[in-house]
Amino acid sequence: MENILELQQICKTFPKLDFILDKISFSLPYGAILGFVGENGAGKTTTIGCILNTVRKDSGMVKLFGKEMQDIDTDIREKIGVVYDGDNFPGYWTAEQLSQVMEGIYTQWDHALFQKYLEDFHLPVKQKIKNYSRGMTMKLAIAAALSHHPQLLILDEATSGLDPVMRDEMLDVFLEFVQEESHSILLSSHITSDLEKVADYITFIHNGKLIMTVSKNDLVYHYAVMRCKESQFLALDPDDIITYRKRDYQIDVLVADGKEAQRKYKDVVVDHVSVDEIMLLLVKGERV
Amino acid sequence: MKGLLKNNFLTVYANAKVFSIFMFLLGIFVVAVVSQPLLIGYGLLCMVGFSVNASVSMKKEFVSKWGKYKLTLPVKRAAIVKSHFISHLIWLLVGALYAGIVISLSWALHGCPYDNSIDVVSIFALGISVSIFMGAFFFPLFYLGGEERSDIFLLISLVCGIAVVLGIISVLNLYLTPGVITILVSAAILIVCSLLMFALSYPLTVGIYHNKEY
Repeated sequence: MENILELQQICKTFPKLDFILDKISFSLPYGAILGFVGENGAGKTTTIGCILNTVRKDSGMVKLFGKEMQDIDTDIREKIGVVYDGDNFPGYWTAEQLSQVMEGIYTQWDHALFQKYLEDFHLPVKQKIKNYSRGMTMKLAIAAALSHHPQLLILDEATSGLDPVMRDEMLDVFLEFVQEESHSILLSSHITSDLEKVADYITFIHNGKLIMTVSKNDLVYHYAVMRCKESQFLALDPDDIITYRKRDYQIDVLVADGKEAQRKYKDVVVDHVSVDEIMLLLVKGERV
Repeated sequence: MKGLLKNNFLTVYANAKVFSIFMFLLGIFVVAVVSQPLLIGYGLLCMVGFSVNASVSMKKEFVSKWGKYKLTLPVKRAAIVKSHFISHLIWLLVGALYAGIVISLSWALHGCPYDNSIDVVSIFALGISVSIFMGAFFFPLFYLGGEERSDIFLLISLVCGIAVVLGIISVLNLYLTPGVITILVSAAILIVCSLLMFALSYPLTVGIYHNKEY
């Protein structure tokens, strides 16, 4: 399958912060949504910075639409929509002024589409952005990111300021966006339930290291948590254990194939696992 | 470029509006009162003030994530820098227009406001060159040191701009004898030097901005 975005062995060191982004590799196929999950400071925004060239990578390769993007490649950036967490635009602007600026920058800027999004999202056109609520500023940023007909959306915590109802509406917008086979979304988020709803793939990152990329179907249908007693845990085949975490009265063990685990270890309780729980096990758990 | 210039205009607009009103009212006063020092001061303040305002407003882009967001837009970093250089010159032109209108009105109502009519050329040359030198120093410093230090960099740039202009004038005074031709030649040298510095500052600023991470 062809990829709209490909990261190969991306490394970036911040010596003052004592942080290393270590050989991050993943790819996003056309027509898919990839959820990018990790705790605060895991390296999600730095990775996105390396993709968008706002941060200079030390080594590795980022391919967008099959090509490494340089500063000169404005044609590639025409096809990308970006939403950052928080205030994307100056507070002294109005939505109307934002449209005027974007119109002078994007060759494909669609003023009518932007107006439609403003209406759909109930955003006042003439009000200054600084008077918007946090949710409204995020909706405005999403509207702006969609209004130049991009093929790739890169969303860094784009749903974090929205209430559950509005988040659900935004997720519908994202799902509608990827109905086109040439469209894809990279969605970094702390709200893992959002990713469970829309993502086709989920990439876990922890402490600057890529832990794994897994398809959501695999996650839902295959991954599971075994709730083991100490003695049961000791009897497990180490090859079956991805990671484990000791709790007060049990040990939670993440396995890649729940059905197989249930067959193999009949007396152990095997539960379905949420993205949240996987993240906790990957971040806080121990490896064999 | 059109969008970037519009962005720069919106960044400066609120401050520029206040400054314009202030300079308009001050202009009425300066026209009404016959005072040579006041007219000289007004002319210089207009030409330097509007461009100072444009420079001081640049940091406003970094209150939000717009400074970072701009890098994801389909524009080259060099184009972003170029837009700031152009905006600087546009605001200098606005200041020069203000100065020109007030000096012309004063001249029309009260006669030549200076000892010699050619002195008006010196005022404009001084104001324009200080403003351009200031911009030439400020832009690379802004991107090098970051927006949080922009105020002090602007002050340093202004002082350096004035110092360089005074330095050039001092050197010229050593070699040129006073006269109309000298004033015209000095004015031309000041403006050419400042424009040269401005032109050299552009690739330096682009180079610094290219390595900047957000």
